[in-house]
Amino acid sequence: MAFLRSRVLWIGAAVVVTAALLPLWLSAYLLGVLTAAYYFGVFAMAWDLLFGFAGEVNFGPTFLIGLGAYTAAILNSEFGLPIPVCVVAGALAAVVGGILLAVPALRLRGPYFGLVTLVAVLLLQNLIVIFAGVTGGEIGMTVPDVLSIDEKVNYWFALAFLTICAVLLYGLSRSAVGLILQASGQDAVEASALGFNVTKHKIAAFCISALFSGTAGALLIFYMGTASINTVIDLAIAVQIIIAAVLGGRRTILGAALGAVVLIVANEFLRPLGQLNTFVVSAVALAVILFFPEGLLGYALHRGERE
Amino acid sequence: MRAVQILVDGFAISSLYGLAAVGFTLIFGVSGVLNLAHGGIMVVAALIGWAAAAEFGLNSYAGTGLGILAGLATAYATYLIVVRPIQRSRAIRPEETEIFVLTGTLLWGIMIQVGMAYLFSDNPVTIRPLVAGVVNVLGVRTPANEILIAIIAWALIGLLWLLVNRTRTGKALLGASMNPRGVTLLGYELTRIYFIAWTIYGLLAGIAGVLLASFLGVGTANTGQLTASAFSIVVLGGLGSVSGSLIAAYVVGYLETMTAYLVAPTLRPIPALILLVLVVYVRPQGLLGRR
Amino acid sequence: MSGAVRLRVSELNKRFGGVVAVKNMSFDLRAGEIVGLIGPNGSGKSTVMSLIMGIQRANSGTIALDGTDIARWPAHRIARAGVAIVFQHSRPLQRQTVLENIKLALLPDSLLRLATEASVTERARAIAESVGLGGVLHRHPWTLPFADLRRMEVAKAVARDPKVVLIDEPFAGLTATEIKTFSDLIRSLRDAERAVLLVDHSVKSVAALADRVIAMYLGERIAEGNAAEVMQNETVRRVYLGGAIEAVKRTSAGADAATLLDIGSVDVFYGKAQALERIDLRVHQDEFVSIVGLNGAGKTTLFNAISGLVPYRGLIRFGGRDLRNLTAAAIARAGIVHCPETRELFGYMSVRENLDLGGGHLSSGERQTQLAWVFELFPILEQRQAQAARTLSGGEQQMLALGRALMMQPKLLILDEPTLGLAPVILAQMSKAIERLRKERSLTLLLAEQNVTFALPHSDRLYLLDHGRVAWQGDPARFAAEMRTGYL
Repeated sequence: MAFLRSRVLWIGAAVVVTAALLPLWLSAYLLGVLTAAYYFGVFAMAWDLLFGFAGEVNFGPTFLIGLGAYTAAILNSEFGLPIPVCVVAGALAAVVGGILLAVPALRLRGPYFGLVTLVAVLLLQNLIVIFAGVTGGEIGMTVPDVLSIDEKVNYWFALAFLTICAVLLYGLSRSAVGLILQASGQDAVEASALGFNVTKHKIAAFCISALFSGTAGALLIFYMGTASINTVIDLAIAVQIIIAAVLGGRRTILGAALGAVVLIVANEFLRPLGQLNTFVVSAVALAVILFFPEGLLGYALHRGERE
Repeated sequence: MRAVQILVDGFAISSLYGLAAVGFTLIFGVSGVLNLAHGGIMVVAALIGWAAAAEFGLNSYAGTGLGILAGLATAYATYLIVVRPIQRSRAIRPEETEIFVLTGTLLWGIMIQVGMAYLFSDNPVTIRPLVAGVVNVLGVRTPANEILIAIIAWALIGLLWLLVNRTRTGKALLGASMNPRGVTLLGYELTRIYFIAWTIYGLLAGIAGVLLASFLGVGTANTGQLTASAFSIVVLGGLGSVSGSLIAAYVVGYLETMTAYLVAPTLRPIPALILLVLVVYVRPQGLLGRR
Repeated sequence: MSGAVRLRVSELNKRFGGVVAVKNMSFDLRAGEIVGLIGPNGSGKSTVMSLIMGIQRANSGTIALDGTDIARWPAHRIARAGVAIVFQHSRPLQRQTVLENIKLALLPDSLLRLATEASVTERARAIAESVGLGGVLHRHPWTLPFADLRRMEVAKAVARDPKVVLIDEPFAGLTATEIKTFSDLIRSLRDAERAVLLVDHSVKSVAALADRVIAMYLGERIAEGNAAEVMQNETVRRVYLGGAIEAVKRTSAGADAATLLDIGSVDVFYGKAQALERIDLRVHQDEFVSIVGLNGAGKTTLFNAISGLVPYRGLIRFGGRDLRNLTAAAIARAGIVHCPETRELFGYMSVRENLDLGGGHLSSGERQTQLAWVFELFPILEQRQAQAARTLSGGEQQMLALGRALMMQPKLLILDEPTLGLAPVILAQMSKAIERLRKERSLTLLLAEQNVTFALPHSDRLYLLDHGRVAWQGDPARFAAEMRTGYL
């Protein structure tokens, strides 16, 4: 176990260093694709924490992301508050949203809870359309401030953010708290019988997932300079996040980030296909569910352990 | 005047919602599947029905029939390609099967939506109504087609009722929704029962799709919304309860129509969503549900 | 040997809707003693355990742990107060190693503690070794044999040095040798001055371990004492056996009659646990064979194997035909009709609809005739034919299940525990109905019963199942003579 950990550490460090050097060779366009992919990676990791560890299927991760993104965007464009304040506010808004989702989750079984998460996204979407004056409705809104104009700086910022989040979330998943979360998700009765307050831990899992999702959502807005339903709320985005996590391997955290990057890059390569690229991606994801339910990373990891 | 218009329009749309929702709830009750590709099946039926008439010049009856068959074929494909392999997969833990089926049907639904958009573009299509003309209902000029839709919807629901309550196969279906092991022990093959359930579902969804196309128009962009409204209705009414779905369909249909007429058309889907959230928080099993 | 009272249960009551699960239950648990809580299915023993652990909440009564009433506490608080439970089915975290599973049990309930102290790992290792798992610390649960999984559950339970340990069905799924070693493990718990409560349905299996035995039936305590006293208690024997085992004269159907059902060397595994071991069994045409044995002996598993509901190794032949490749529904259509313990009625359908579905494969005329016969056998069903099945009483539901099975015109009728939870008056009615069945129709019957007194008078032959094996077979007279004292 300890050996594996250090192997992960070395491989992870190598990957980060390689990634940091990419701006020396890649075009601005490709750097932009990767930058977005890194934020997506955080979305996917936050989803995996909630699903893989607390056992809750969230069909609307974009509810939390959207809350963070739009709160930050509105504060920045209506009140001119500086970026860090907006990001923090966005994160807090997302956490409140997370608690709102946690309450029914504790009383509902799987598919019912999934339904609530779907509805949450639809409601947020409709709310944004209704208050188009402030939010820009279906067209979206622009924010006056951005993180940076230089695509290299944006790239390194995103990479650093992804790395920090990965370290935090992965560390959490491996920690004592992570173990308790897994137990709460897998077998709530047994976890209670072992002395753990499952309710407390599940709410905590929601808040943590919301915190990371909301922060990443807010930062994404300040990278792109715009906020719109299509980029942070639409169900299509939500599905992509779920696909990324499932592709990479549930309950691995790092697999989710890997899946996200692979997915976004694949989308780019499939762009010439036009609309069909969504088709291909969905088809591949379906195939993964049917034949490799453990996901790519999950499959690779467990192959060594199979009898 | 307004009131009668709302009454009539609301009735037609509710009947269609009811038809689609009954199929959705049937599949959940018998097969245990929440089919997130539901909207996709309806859209395929609508588009093929339209294409058969508009592009291949078939008359509207043949076109409609072809559309319904296309919907049926899509339902079969959903069962055989997505649902059954996941349910039988040994690589998936039994507690996680439901979630995987949900995700699988979601992906399949997206594939259908994008695939159809590629083949037909995402513009909404209308199928020529089976009956033309306008009828005077309580002083309001209503397209005869709307009346026909309501009649067809209720005729089908009536047929379904007869099937389930008066035929042996129907009773076996009902039994399977209560207790699959029970029907097996009585010598009925579950595989055959599931096949029949998906057939009925495919037909109902297909018919709902072509009828909706002849009334309001249907495009690939509606796919998600159609699934969402069927989902909402069925949860409101109680998953697994056919009568619950029918009542809920009318509640939702009228709420939507009233919102569209009295408040604003863009806010149409909102009341149903809010109602759904309330139901889930307060009474998750819906009005008449038992699961 | 036993010390202070650790747990005092007083006037505990629990109701589920209209069903009384536990009624005025009171008993003490002392430090350094092992108490066996026994009773058949539905006696309330498992509910008592859930109530103590806080998984269910009692309607009234107190549960005092060292003087403090814990009856209304949430489960995790009770666990931290010093009560531990070993569930009947092992519940490990599959993705974690044995060491990590035990470490979990040692963790504090804190959101902020991220790192585990080195001492925790050391203690987990020591605990693992004390239960005999020292060699498999870094393996994952799905690689371990069944007995080791049970040990891991005990390790998790004792990790935080509990005062009270509750163990549900300690020996289910274990072989004879494994039972011995597991018993030693449980004894070590007593030697460490813990209060141990074992819940089981067999006095015999806990007899060797328990200092005291408390017997339950229909939610109440019916006997208490040491194992021998309880086994001899009149009420206990009546509850388990249904009464005195009397010698019965029976003219058996010709043993040279054709073999209808032939079971050869059948094994059934549930995951790692072996539920049936090398079962050989034969039923001849027109014979009435009973399989007796306690809960968990394997009767239901055997019936499920015959009906094609669980996979098995070995040979099962019906009328010479191998059943292996038939679907369960096909087996039912071939003439083997299984009326299970759970009855599997269609609750929301009427009595008449249930019966009609049973007769679904018959022509309309045949169905009418068959229905008339079933109504004659069970007049109450005709009276209640429009009622929804789930509104019937227990006895009526059992009659409906039997009637529905008869509608299929079975060649071999398999009845699983038809008398479970039924009042004596209903038992008499069922007994008469079965007698009529034998006389009026050519019916071969395979019956599984805990209630030997019910089974004996009708049976031509008996098999006794114990822990998944055929422990005895023969005719009723011999059974009465030999099994008088040994059964429990």
